[in-house]
Amino acid sequence: MKTMLAKLMLAASVIGGGLQAAAAETANIWVRADGSNFMPRIVDAFNKAHRDQIKLDIIPNAEIIPKYGAAAAGGTAPDALSLDLIYTPSFAAAGQLEDITDWAKSLPYFSSLSPAHVKTGTYKDRIYGLPFSADASVLIWNKKLFKQAGLDPEKGPTNWAEIEADAEKVNALGGDIKGFYFSGNCGGCNIFTFTPLIWASGGDILSEDGSKATLDSPQLRGAIDLYRSMVKKGLVPEGAQTDTGANFFAAFAGGKIGLSPSGAFAIGALNTQYPDVDYGITFLPGKDGGWSSFAGGDNFVVTKGTKKIAVVKEFLDFAYSLEGQTILAKYGSLPVRNDIAKDALKDLDPRYQVAAEAMAKGRTPYSVVFNDLINSANGPWTQMINEVFFGDDVDGAIKNAQETMQSIIDQAPNK
Amino acid sequence: MASIAVTSAPARTRTATSLRQWIGLLYVLPAVAFVVVFFVVPLGMTAWMSLNNWPLMGEHSFVGLDNYVAILRDTRFWNALKFTFYYTVVVTIAIFAVAFPLAIFIERPRPLTNLYRTAFFMPAVVGFASASLLWSWLLNVDSGLFSPAAYDLGLTAKKVNLLATFQPAFWSIIAMVVWKVAGFTMIILMTGLQSIPQDLQEAAVIDGAGPFARFRAITLPLMRRTLALALILSVAGSILAFDQFYIILRGGPRNQTLTAVYWIFNQSFVSFKLGYGAALSMVLLVILVALSLIQLWLLRKPEGLD
Repeated sequence: MKTMLAKLMLAASVIGGGLQAAAAETANIWVRADGSNFMPRIVDAFNKAHRDQIKLDIIPNAEIIPKYGAAAAGGTAPDALSLDLIYTPSFAAAGQLEDITDWAKSLPYFSSLSPAHVKTGTYKDRIYGLPFSADASVLIWNKKLFKQAGLDPEKGPTNWAEIEADAEKVNALGGDIKGFYFSGNCGGCNIFTFTPLIWASGGDILSEDGSKATLDSPQLRGAIDLYRSMVKKGLVPEGAQTDTGANFFAAFAGGKIGLSPSGAFAIGALNTQYPDVDYGITFLPGKDGGWSSFAGGDNFVVTKGTKKIAVVKEFLDFAYSLEGQTILAKYGSLPVRNDIAKDALKDLDPRYQVAAEAMAKGRTPYSVVFNDLINSANGPWTQMINEVFFGDDVDGAIKNAQETMQSIIDQAPNK
Repeated sequence: MASIAVTSAPARTRTATSLRQWIGLLYVLPAVAFVVVFFVVPLGMTAWMSLNNWPLMGEHSFVGLDNYVAILRDTRFWNALKFTFYYTVVVTIAIFAVAFPLAIFIERPRPLTNLYRTAFFMPAVVGFASASLLWSWLLNVDSGLFSPAAYDLGLTAKKVNLLATFQPAFWSIIAMVVWKVAGFTMIILMTGLQSIPQDLQEAAVIDGAGPFARFRAITLPLMRRTLALALILSVAGSILAFDQFYIILRGGPRNQTLTAVYWIFNQSFVSFKLGYGAALSMVLLVILVALSLIQLWLLRKPEGLD
C-alpha cells in the first residue's frame, strides 16, 4: 500500500514537472484531404523545431465545412483551419473568423503574399484569411502524342485556334486517342480551367465585388463556341459529358488525351504516379493570345475567440519561411510568397516555374455564395456549362444561368 | 372466482385494472422511450428549427413562418416534388408489374422454387448506396457494361452515354430500382397469395371461373391488406428517393432528376440553410402522411367482408 502511494506521488510529481517544463501550448488545426500530402510534413517540421505544438486533423474534402460548422456550434472548433479560399468570404460574413488585419499587415512580406488569396481573405476591408497553399490552373499537353501527330512536342498552343488545331491533329491518330478532355459536368473543375479562357480574352463571369453576374458577354460565348466545336468534331471522349470531376485528372494521366486544362497539382501527381507520361505545361490562353489562370488553394483562417492565437501565428510564420515554402512546394502546393517562390522551387521540376508564374497573376472570383453559384453540382454554373457544351439551346442556357445566379446573389443573407 | 370478485368489490377491480394498465405501460416503456428519444424529440427539434433562420455557422434567429412562405415561392422545390411524384408513379407501377408475376411464379412449391426465391430476393439485401455505386459503374460509358457491350456487339455505331440525356438516364434508374426492390415486394405479395385459402380457388374452378376471373374476384380482393402494405412501402420509399439520384446522376442530366429529398439535402448541406431545410422536411412529412392515409383509405376493408 505504501509503495503504491509512493509510486502515485512519484507519478504525480512527474506529471506536474512535465507540465511545468512544457508550458508550451498545443493548437489544433484542420486541413481538407487535398492538403494531406504537404500539411503533415510542414506540421512535423514545425513541431520538431518549436516548443509550441500543432495537432493536425485531416478532414475529407466534402465534410470539412459541415463538420466545422457543427464543431463551431458545439464550441469545439479547431483553433485554425486551412480552408478552400473561395469559402473565406462566407465564413467571414458568418462572423466565424478572427480579424487578423493588424498582424497580417505587420508581416514584412505581406505585399508579396498571393494577391488572389489576400483578396478572397478580405471581407469589408478587414483581413480574415491569409494564403496557405496554392494551385493554379494551366494547360497540359502530351508530348508523345504531339510528336506522333507531327506537331512540335515542345510547343504548346498559345491561342484558341491553336488549341483546336492541335487537338484535331492528335485526334486524327485515331483509336482510343482523343484530342481534348474536360469534365463536362463539374462546376468546380470548369471555374478553375474554363474561366481563365474568358479572363484572358477580357471577359468575366462575376463583377469585381461579386454583386453582379456577368455571363452575357462575347468572351464567354466565344469560349463556349471553342468547346462546342471540339465536342462536335468528336475530339472529346463521350464520358466527358457526365464527368462530375472524377476523371478531371485521370483522363489525361491515362496517356490517351492530347490536351487538357488542369492544375499545377498535376505536375506532382504525374511525376510521382505516372512517370511514363511525358507532358508539357503552358498557360491557359485567351482567344488571340495572352493568358490567365485561376488562383486556387487554401486560405489560413483563425477561429474567432481562440486562446491559442499566438501558437497559430507562430505556425503561420514558420510556413511562410523559406523552409516552410520549400516543404510546401516539394509536396504538392505552389509557394504563396512570391518574393521567395523562385528559391523555394529551384531544386524542383522546372515546369513548376510556369505554374508559379500563373499563380502570381492568378485570379479568383469573389462571392459569399460561391458554393451555391459555382461548385454545387446542382447550381446554375454547373447546369449551364453542361447545357452550353453539349446541349442545343446555348442562349437560353446562358440567360437562365444569368438569372438564377443573380437571384442567388440577391438573396444572399450577408452581401 | 372471477364472478365473486366482480360482485363483491367493483372498486378493487378498478384498481386491478388500472394496476394492469400501469404494468402494461411499464412493459412498453422501453419502446416508448425509444420512440420519444429517436423520433418525437428530433421531430420537435426539426419543427422548431423550421421556424428559425438557422445557418450552419453563426447565430440563428426566430423568423416565424418566413421559411414556409419562402417555400411557396421556391419553384425549384415544387419542380423537384413534381419529378418525385412522376418517379413514384412510374417506379411503383414498374415494381408491381415485375413483382406480381414473380410472386405468382414462386408462390407454389415446384422444382427449384427456393433457388428462384433466393435469386429474385438477393438484390434486396444490397444497400441502396452500394447498389447505386454498382450501377454507376455498369452504366459508365467508357468502362461500364451496357454501352461498351452494345458497341462491341455492333448494336450501336458508337458508345452511347446512357446518363447524358433524360430519358435513358431516368429509365436506367427505374431499371436499377426495380432490380433492387422487386424481390422484396415479391416476398410481401407472396405471403398474401399464400394466405388465400385454397378451397376458395377450387370452388371457383368448379363454378367454371377462368384464371383471370379468379385473379380479379378472389386473389385481388383477398390481398387488399398485403397490397396496401406493399403499396405504402413502395410509395413512401419512392417519395423519399435520394441515394440513386445522388450517386448515379448527381441530379443530372441538367438538374432534371432532382428529387424532393435531394433538394432538402442541397438546401441544408450545400447551401447550409438548416432552418429552411427543416421547413422543407416538415412539408414533405405532411405530404407523405397524407398520401399514406389516402392509400389506407382506398384499400380499407370493404363493408361486410371479414
